[in-house]
Amino acid sequence: MTQYSPSRLPEPRVAASVATSTNNHLEIDAVTKNFGSQAVLMGVNLSVAKGGTTAIVGPSGSGKTTLLRLIAGFEHPDTGSISLNGAKVAGDGVWVPAHKRHVGYVAQDGALFPHLSVGQNISFGLDAGKLPGGHRSVKTRVAELLDMVSLDAAMAKRRPHELSGGQQQRVALARALAREPELMLLDEPFSALDAGLRVATRRAVGKVLQDAGVTTILVTHDQGEALSFADQVAVMRGGRLAQIGNPFIVYTRPADRATAEFLGDAVILDAWMEGSLATCSLGGIPVRRPPAQGRVQLMLRPEQIRIAEDGPIRGVVVDTDYFGPETTVRLKLAVPPVLAEGAVADHRYPGGGEIITIRHWNASIARPGTELCLRVVGEAVAFPVEDLPQV
Amino acid sequence: MKIRKNALAGIALAATATLGLAACGSGASTAPGTSAAADGTLSGEITVYNAQHESLTKEWVDAFTAETGVKVTMRQGSDTEMSNQIIQEGQASPADVFLTENSPAMAQVENAGLFADVDKATIDQVPAEFRPSTNKWTGIAARSTVLVYDKAKLSEDQLPTSMLDLAKPEWQGKWAASPSGADFQAIVSALLELKGEAATEEWLQGMKANSKAYKGNSTAMKAVNAGEVDAALIYHYYYYGDQAKTGENSKNVTPYYFKNQDPGAFVSVSGGGVLNSSKNAAAAQAFVKFITGKKGQEVLQKGTSFEYAIASDVPANEKLVPLAELQAPTVDPAKLNSAKVTELMTKAGLL
Amino acid sequence: MTTKLAAPGTSGGTTTAGRGKRPRPPFGVSIVAVLAVLIALFSLIPLGYVIVMTAATGWDTAVDLIFRARVGELLLNTVLLMAVTVPLCLILGVGGAWLVERTQLRGHKWWAVLLAAPLAIPAFVNSYAWVSAVPSLEGLWSGVLIATLSYFPLVYIPAAATLSRLDPAIEQSAASLGLGAWRTFFRVVLPQLRIAMTGGALLVSLHLLAEYGAFAMIRFDTFTTAIMVQYQSTFNGTAGNMLASVLVFLCLILLLVEVRSRGSARYAKIGSGAQARALRLPLHAYQLPAQLFLAALTALAFGLPLTFVLRWIVAGGPDIWAADEFLPALLQTLMYGLAGALATTVVAFPMAYLAVRHPSWFSKALELSNYITSSMPGIVVGLAFVTVSIKAAPSLYQTSALLVAAYVLLVLPRALVNIRSGLAQAPKELDEAAQALGKPPLLAFLRVTLRLTAPAAAGGAALVFLAIVNELTATLLLSPNGTRTLATEFWSKSSEIDYAGAAPYALLMILISAPMTYLLFQQSKKAAGQ
Repeated sequence: MTQYSPSRLPEPRVAASVATSTNNHLEIDAVTKNFGSQAVLMGVNLSVAKGGTTAIVGPSGSGKTTLLRLIAGFEHPDTGSISLNGAKVAGDGVWVPAHKRHVGYVAQDGALFPHLSVGQNISFGLDAGKLPGGHRSVKTRVAELLDMVSLDAAMAKRRPHELSGGQQQRVALARALAREPELMLLDEPFSALDAGLRVATRRAVGKVLQDAGVTTILVTHDQGEALSFADQVAVMRGGRLAQIGNPFIVYTRPADRATAEFLGDAVILDAWMEGSLATCSLGGIPVRRPPAQGRVQLMLRPEQIRIAEDGPIRGVVVDTDYFGPETTVRLKLAVPPVLAEGAVADHRYPGGGEIITIRHWNASIARPGTELCLRVVGEAVAFPVEDLPQV
Repeated sequence: MKIRKNALAGIALAATATLGLAACGSGASTAPGTSAAADGTLSGEITVYNAQHESLTKEWVDAFTAETGVKVTMRQGSDTEMSNQIIQEGQASPADVFLTENSPAMAQVENAGLFADVDKATIDQVPAEFRPSTNKWTGIAARSTVLVYDKAKLSEDQLPTSMLDLAKPEWQGKWAASPSGADFQAIVSALLELKGEAATEEWLQGMKANSKAYKGNSTAMKAVNAGEVDAALIYHYYYYGDQAKTGENSKNVTPYYFKNQDPGAFVSVSGGGVLNSSKNAAAAQAFVKFITGKKGQEVLQKGTSFEYAIASDVPANEKLVPLAELQAPTVDPAKLNSAKVTELMTKAGLL
Repeated sequence: MTTKLAAPGTSGGTTTAGRGKRPRPPFGVSIVAVLAVLIALFSLIPLGYVIVMTAATGWDTAVDLIFRARVGELLLNTVLLMAVTVPLCLILGVGGAWLVERTQLRGHKWWAVLLAAPLAIPAFVNSYAWVSAVPSLEGLWSGVLIATLSYFPLVYIPAAATLSRLDPAIEQSAASLGLGAWRTFFRVVLPQLRIAMTGGALLVSLHLLAEYGAFAMIRFDTFTTAIMVQYQSTFNGTAGNMLASVLVFLCLILLLVEVRSRGSARYAKIGSGAQARALRLPLHAYQLPAQLFLAALTALAFGLPLTFVLRWIVAGGPDIWAADEFLPALLQTLMYGLAGALATTVVAFPMAYLAVRHPSWFSKALELSNYITSSMPGIVVGLAFVTVSIKAAPSLYQTSALLVAAYVLLVLPRALVNIRSGLAQAPKELDEAAQALGKPPLLAFLRVTLRLTAPAAAGGAALVFLAIVNELTATLLLSPNGTRTLATEFWSKSSEIDYAGAAPYALLMILISAPMTYLLFQQSKKAAGQ
């Protein structure tokens, strides 16, 4: 059995799930899945509360889509179990097939039926007999759903191939919503849209689902999308969930270096931890939960390092990239004053000279060669040194 | 919706087809009818494996069914194809009656022990020279070997005195035959019986060098007519038959009879026999009796097949040269060996 | 809104999923796999027959019968026939396709159909017409003439379909790199036609090996005509079987050559977006010669046979239309065609399903086994079935079920190719989406996958129908007593040079085949990839 870790990142420490309440809509318990000789999921635990939105985020090939398909009922888990509303649907000798799980599923490319019109697609899952009003009310319901996803009711007669990508995605959502599922699964639904449309569609979809009170699980490789869309973020790597928590926690207090680097830009520095103070080339920075003493790796987000005229740290600009609203600035940090004064470099004290990347709104002050003063705001996160990636 | 309707229509159509076929197939393969009732009336149906010309047998069948009400299903084929098939099928063969154009195929089936004795009443209708002594089958018609030639290309003194001359070098490229046909293979079998294996082998090798192969006697005759080849070794009735129609395939052609008991004057006897695995023996025997009876033979005399009538004292068609004048060699039809002939012809590279 | 879920401990209702602790592949797929294996085994009967026959014959006899001068003659004839006809068909097929699809040929929409039309005329009818026109036709060159005119559409149709879907961006890139029109064609366009060309060449070769009627009529001896002759003399004799084994050997070599020359060419995946239309080259001075060339080709391949059939019909007058003869023949032909098409589609489905949804070495092996059989001529399949049924299953002997089974084996891969391409257009994501929308797996399969595969399957069925209507040799060997099909009736009449009598059957065959040919032509345009 090969370990499926294409990025060769270190193994994540499995984090306990955050939502510990018993009112869980979905419970995934120690699920593993292999395809042939490849291990894709290697022990996943996740709980999702009713009405909540969870984003499962991770690099391509980490197993996110497989997990989603397991929840939907398209695959069997090898070990472990999956429960919906407290009742087991997979694992331990139980199997509820996909068509009985009452779970909505929107595939990556929409998967609209090409031989049916938009209206027929949407009403596909509707059992006309069970609707109040019978067959006649199908048309009304379809119009309602189209309205819900902000599409014109006249679209019902069109064919899927006549719609744009974004419109197709929204029709797929309407189709899944038609059955009023309690749990909705979205597999990278916005990845095919261009940037401007992506944000707007994401907002619209999020609002629809929230208004309807539907528990949602979104799978994406875009970390910005995950952080903005969900109230619980689960970071997946190498077939396991590295960390589960709300977006703020996950972003500011990542469980390990790989997670930190995945969720956004990170400034990583060697540091020396004594007590809860870490000393690095940016000075002494408090760390809330030191994992170890002595040599550690320190993580800061670029926005924590501010350019301040009275800042204690010095650095020289190496180069800049102008992006419009902000500029990324690469700086070479100065050697600490202690060493500059002739003290011998000690294993306890980092030697300075690292190149870090920060961001600033004012491009003009950051020209290559300029010396800037920096100040660090907030706490840092420390990781043990064995988290060093193999080169 | 339109597509769904089409799909339904398609499925309905196909289902009907399958049902129809099942009916057809089972109809053909159900065991043919019942044996005769005690008072001798015939009933049911019989299957005839027919190697004779379809049109001729059809005339017989129509007349027979009209007279007796027995339904007849024909399977068309060629002499040795069907004889071998009957042997392969063995006792499970659906055939009740086997009719051929030539004798070797009948001898083959007889040697495999698959024929029942022919009714005495039928035997009595057929002269002895046209049936085997074993009475396991009987002759039903006859045809004479003939060389049809193009008068414009061959003068009378150039004509061969014997069929054996055709293997000589001077005949290279000048004559045609249909070696794949049972007719020609019967002629070779007579040659084998009259002159022995060595002579036959030699003659066949000459034939390979000299002759053009056509598929079918009529095609060979047509080729002579068109001037493609000078002469063709076929059976007589093809010429007379075509002459009686439009004559377009034979107007330039003249028949030449070898006579003098030459192998080329061979008269081939068409046979009819009843299989001992027949499930309706009475009707089968009746059919063979009918063919060799007056009515059946008159079909040969008056009809368009132009084969020789041989039984029930019915004379031949008036257009034909009378059998007695042909000076045919005497050959026991039961001794003709088709398997050996095929082997020799394969060896000579003709098959 | 309550969600009904199974209580813990009970297994979920009617499912196709496995139960128990360890996950198993869905039950439905196992059934499909078993079916596919049974079909593959059945389809190997003819090959098994040839091998067993060859083994049973004994080495000395086999050597005697195989290595003789006659076989050398036949081999020479066959090889020469293929060596000349196949390249000619390739040139005519690809050239015609290119003119119709990629140039500003006037009336190209009409020419597109006309070039496919000769498929509606069976090769033996073609031969019959040519022999009526030029009675002295015989030998190799006549064979080449008739075969080329009959079979070039087998190359034309896939070539035209491929050319119409080629991405013009490739040719435009070539132009921007300085390649002129001719060089672009040879270096850029032609390689993309590789699959169409090798597939078409294989089809033509297999048809050449299997064709009997057309060559018998012009007295051109090939293996199949010789086997038929042996069959008529000895029914199931050793010599015939030995010839059959040589023939099968040739077919297998052809298969190997085709697989090799296909190389690693991939079938292009066509996306869902609308593709830019290909540029059509202007013809200028070549317009008139092109029109004349195509007119001559169509006249010879389609016009001439049709004319002569009609001439014979007129010459024969009303007498030749004996209703008690041609009506049963027509009905039986239609029924066999429909039954065969239905049976083939049903039988092809399990294999196609495995090949597309669960591809593995297993599904490839299955496909290969029936690919081998379909490459065999009808006469070998007929001989095999006759022998096997007499010896092993006498109740099946001479039944229409056996004949339909033989038809199915002969045409299975054609239906398979079509159904496979149809299934490829119905990815399993759609099936899953339907299940997630509450449809049980079987219903999802019917309403989505089957529905989407139907047009392609219909195209395959049309192809199969066409092949069955024109089938001669297996029908002659296997048909139940009293069966008359248009092909066998035509053959028996024309064998007795009753050309006028044969004409109505020829005309009926053409009339039945024409709509199928058209359907086929339309389908080939729609099929995505292959």
